[in-house]
Order: sequence, then structure tokens, then C-alpha cells
Amino acid sequence: MNPEHSHLSKKERRQLRRGERIAAEQHQTRRRFTRRIALWSSVLIGIGTVVFMIVKLSTQPPASGVPVVPSRIEITPEDWIKGESGSKVVLVEYSDFQCPACGTYYPILKQLYKEFGDRLQFVYRHFPLEQHRHADLAARAAEAAGRQGRIWEMHDLLFEGQATWANQNHPEEMFIGYARQLGLDIERFRADLDSREGKKAVEEDRISGNRVGVNSTPTFFLDGVIIQNPRNYDEFRNLLQQAIESRS
Amino acid sequence: MNSEISSNRPSRAVPNWIIASFLVISFIGFADATYLTAKHYSGTPLECSVFESCEKVTTSRYATVLGIPVALLGAIYYLAIFLSLIAYLDLRREGILSFTALFTIVGLLASAWFVYLQLFVIQAICPYCMVSAVASTVLFLLGMLALKKKRVSC
Repeated sequence: MNPEHSHLSKKERRQLRRGERIAAEQHQTRRRFTRRIALWSSVLIGIGTVVFMIVKLSTQPPASGVPVVPSRIEITPEDWIKGESGSKVVLVEYSDFQCPACGTYYPILKQLYKEFGDRLQFVYRHFPLEQHRHADLAARAAEAAGRQGRIWEMHDLLFEGQATWANQNHPEEMFIGYARQLGLDIERFRADLDSREGKKAVEEDRISGNRVGVNSTPTFFLDGVIIQNPRNYDEFRNLLQQAIESRS
Repeated sequence: MNSEISSNRPSRAVPNWIIASFLVISFIGFADATYLTAKHYSGTPLECSVFESCEKVTTSRYATVLGIPVALLGAIYYLAIFLSLIAYLDLRREGILSFTALFTIVGLLASAWFVYLQLFVIQAICPYCMVSAVASTVLFLLGMLALKKKRVSC
């Protein structure tokens, strides 16, 4: 055997083997790279999809609490009504003085009333929720003030002071303070706060709410028909505007 | 050379189920916190329900830190955990796992603080916040378990 030739062929073989190895490594590197791209892009796409779905879900108006067959509600002589009786539209609110969402709607409603006052009748009904420990008492405070003709002033004070009295252990003192501020007969207010009539009035509102499918506060009825809570002032304003226009 | 081999191979010390749970729980936490963040910004949930505590917690003054909603911080936290786990699966560097495991203490402490606020200060429970608290706690436990397994193997 020619040593020269054998040397060459050995070198060739080695080169060949090295070439194969490099090709295999390159192939593996490429495959690993592809796998990494696939991993990270699927993670990013997955996260993006989930975020998109969640955001969409959370910005949809809540579908709860709207009965399949909308029940019409009527105003009763026992209702607290603000506005002229000849008004074009009637807005009934089932509300809870300690409910933060109701507190958020309070300035919106006040502004709406200012704007539509002559064409809008506003009714407040109690729907104190279990989880709000002072809601029932606050409702009775409003009733007690109502017996002295100052329900709406008390209604405003209760919502404006919500953040303060809601966290107190004995908010009675604050409610009596409000009564004093409104110039009410304090003895009478105190008595009415605990009276059977007051409790009954609140309870009757709550029962009437249960009957028409109220399960959250605030719940609004526009001309007797339940509506989904408008998300802001403008939405609410448009809704009322439409109702008023459809009447005329 | 030795380190190269071990870094390219799945960790033998930390079982796969720990990694899988880590991924699942952090993703649940992320989805939960994202939902709360979206709610925070959209401002839709303007109602208090008979069935659950209302938006008191998410609208309280504790819901933001320097103007940033806590829910958003939570979402970023869970996402960071989730992505570092993916990075660990990709690069197989043990350090990433150790760091992530230690990092879960942050979530645990934050959650403990928010549960305390809900129970004793705001006195209202927000179900989605509680889901997050549970997720953080489980992540912490998984993290400690991962660290322990690693130490034993060393």
C-alpha cells in the first residue's frame, strides 16, 4: 500500500466526517432556533389572545339582573318622587346608600336631574344589601327625614358622606348630625329612625325590588322598564334624551 | 463542558409537575389580574350585587399605588413569573429557576398585605383579589419546593 495514498484517503475521510458533523450541528442549531422561535411566538400569541379576550369580556356591560320578560313597574303613592307629575319620563332607581356604585351614580343623577328636571320624574326606592351593614339604617334615616319633608336633602347628604359614615361603627351620630344640619326636629328624627313605619317602608321597597328581579344596586327602570346601567353621564343622558323624544 | 451538558438538559432535581404548576398558576394569576386591571380602567362595574361583594375593594384608595392600579402591578408580576419560567424551559439555566422561586416572596408579601386590607381595613372581600392571593401563595409554596429539591440534589 502506498503510504501517501492511505494518508490522503484518511485525511479525506476525516474531512468528510468533519463536514458531516458540521452539517449535523448546523442542522441541529437551526432546528433549535426554529423551536425557540416557535416557543416564544406561541407564548406571545397566547398571551395576546388571552389579554384581548379578557379586556373584551370585562368591558361588556353586565348581563345579569335583566329578567327575560321585563316587568313594568308603576309609581305608587308611597314612593319618594322628585319632579313634576306631568313629566315625560319616569326614572326609578333601586339603590343602597352604602353601595359605592350608587355613590358613583349619585353625582351623575344629580347632574341629569339638573338638565332634565322639567321633563323627568325621579323615584328613589330602597334596596339595602346584606353586605352593607349600615345600609338599612341609612335608608331609615332617609325615611325619617322624609317624614319631615326633607328626603332629598338627606339623600344627598348620605351619598356625599358615604365614605365617612360607611366605615364607622355607630353612624347614627352622623345621621343625627345631618338631621341637625337640615334643621329637622331631632327628637322626632330619632324616634322615626327606629320606628316600625320606617322599617316597614324600607322593607316594602326591598320586597318590591325582589319581585321585579332587582339583584344589584343601583338598578334603574326607565318608564317602568328595567335598563342596563349606563356606563357614564353621556350614555345616561342619551338614553333619557331618546326616551323624551320618543314621547313627544 | 460538564456545565454545558447539565444546562442543556431538563433539570433532574426539580420535577416537571412543579414547573407545570408554576406555569399554570402564574397564568391564572395573570388572567385574573388582567381582568381586574381592565375593570379598573373601563369603569363598567357600576353596581353592587346581592350575590357578591361589590366594587368597594377595587375602588378603594388602596387600589392604586402612586396612581398605578395594584391590579396592573399584579398582572406584570404574574407575567414576569410566567415568562421567566418559559425562559427557563428555553435556556435551561438553573439560575433562572432559583431567582423566580425567590421572587415569589414578593407576591406572597404583597398578597398578605392586600388580604389584611380587605379583611380589617376596607372590610370587604373582592373575590378576584382573593383568587390572586391564593395564586401568589401557591406560587410561593411551589417556589420553596423547587428550591428545596434543588438543594437536596446539590
